Amino acid sequence: MSCDAFNRMASAYLDGELTAEDRRRFEAHLETCDACRRELADLKRLTEDLDMIRFKEPGDEELARYWSGVYNRLERGLGWILFSVGAILTLCYGAFKVIEELIRDDTVSNLLKVGVCALIAGLVVLFVSLLRERLVVCKVDRYSKEIER
Amino acid sequence: MDETESVLIQRCQAGEKEAFEPIVRKYAGRATGAAAVLLGCPQEAQDASQEAFVRAWRHIQRFRPDAPFYPWYSAILRNICRSRLRRRSRRPTVSLPDGYALPSNDSDPVFLAEQNERRRCLFQAILALQPMFREILLMKHFQEMSYKEMAEALDIPIGTVMSRLHNARLALREALAKDES
Repeated sequence: MSCDAFNRMASAYLDGELTAEDRRRFEAHLETCDACRRELADLKRLTEDLDMIRFKEPGDEELARYWSGVYNRLERGLGWILFSVGAILTLCYGAFKVIEELIRDDTVSNLLKVGVCALIAGLVVLFVSLLRERLVVCKVDRYSKEIER
Repeated sequence: MDETESVLIQRCQAGEKEAFEPIVRKYAGRATGAAAVLLGCPQEAQDASQEAFVRAWRHIQRFRPDAPFYPWYSAILRNICRSRLRRRSRRPTVSLPDGYALPSNDSDPVFLAEQNERRRCLFQAILALQPMFREILLMKHFQEMSYKEMAEALDIPIGTVMSRLHNARLALREALAKDES
């Protein structure tokens, strides 16, 4: 095996992720190769530096602000759901009434009646199509499994 | 998972928002740091990590209270960051002229517990790597995941984890060498 192939195993060796057999072969090669030993030492320094990095724990004030941001979004989420349901119901009711009035009104031309009906039917088709697309995407989304744990 | 967290999760599942607060407070720091690494953009990190907590809350019913919370949360966070990166890549951008540097206060590693010149440079170099490398370095060095866990989380073979992590470290070393020279 070439030095290059051994080098590619260096990270896994440092992380203790090589099989016993690969580890033995890797160590046997190290004993005979200065370049690979240097490369390994260099990589080891880097991984040790990386392992030393830790994220800061925020102070109480920062945490209070952070939680307040999350809480507001939780509250607003419910608000948006209620608003959306309310808006859809109101719009549907309004559209139904408009169509009803239009059809009954003899003074309105048939062309306008057809136009308004087509407009509303088009909106319904677009809405259903969008909803269907979202549901299909949700089903095949490879990342959605992350929620199911 | 400790018993307290399990009890808190059960209270969350019963709809008590107050029970979610200690969980958010416990993980806020590492969540924001992780988002900064995943996005390569500290300014967007807090917003993304908060969005992930909101999504976790909305799906808390599907979570098993006996399982550890953070791995589940971090998977949600990764997905949010990936979506943001995808959206960002679709948006037209204006490239900065050569030699232009962002103001230092915009790129300070405010997420690090201990700061010194070496760690500051290291963190900056991580943020400048490509997303795939940032993600795998985060999983290995900040979340201490094994190769098997990373392979499962990323849905890739262990061999790919091994080579991706190795390439990420090489890219990081190269970036640091460039900085030093």
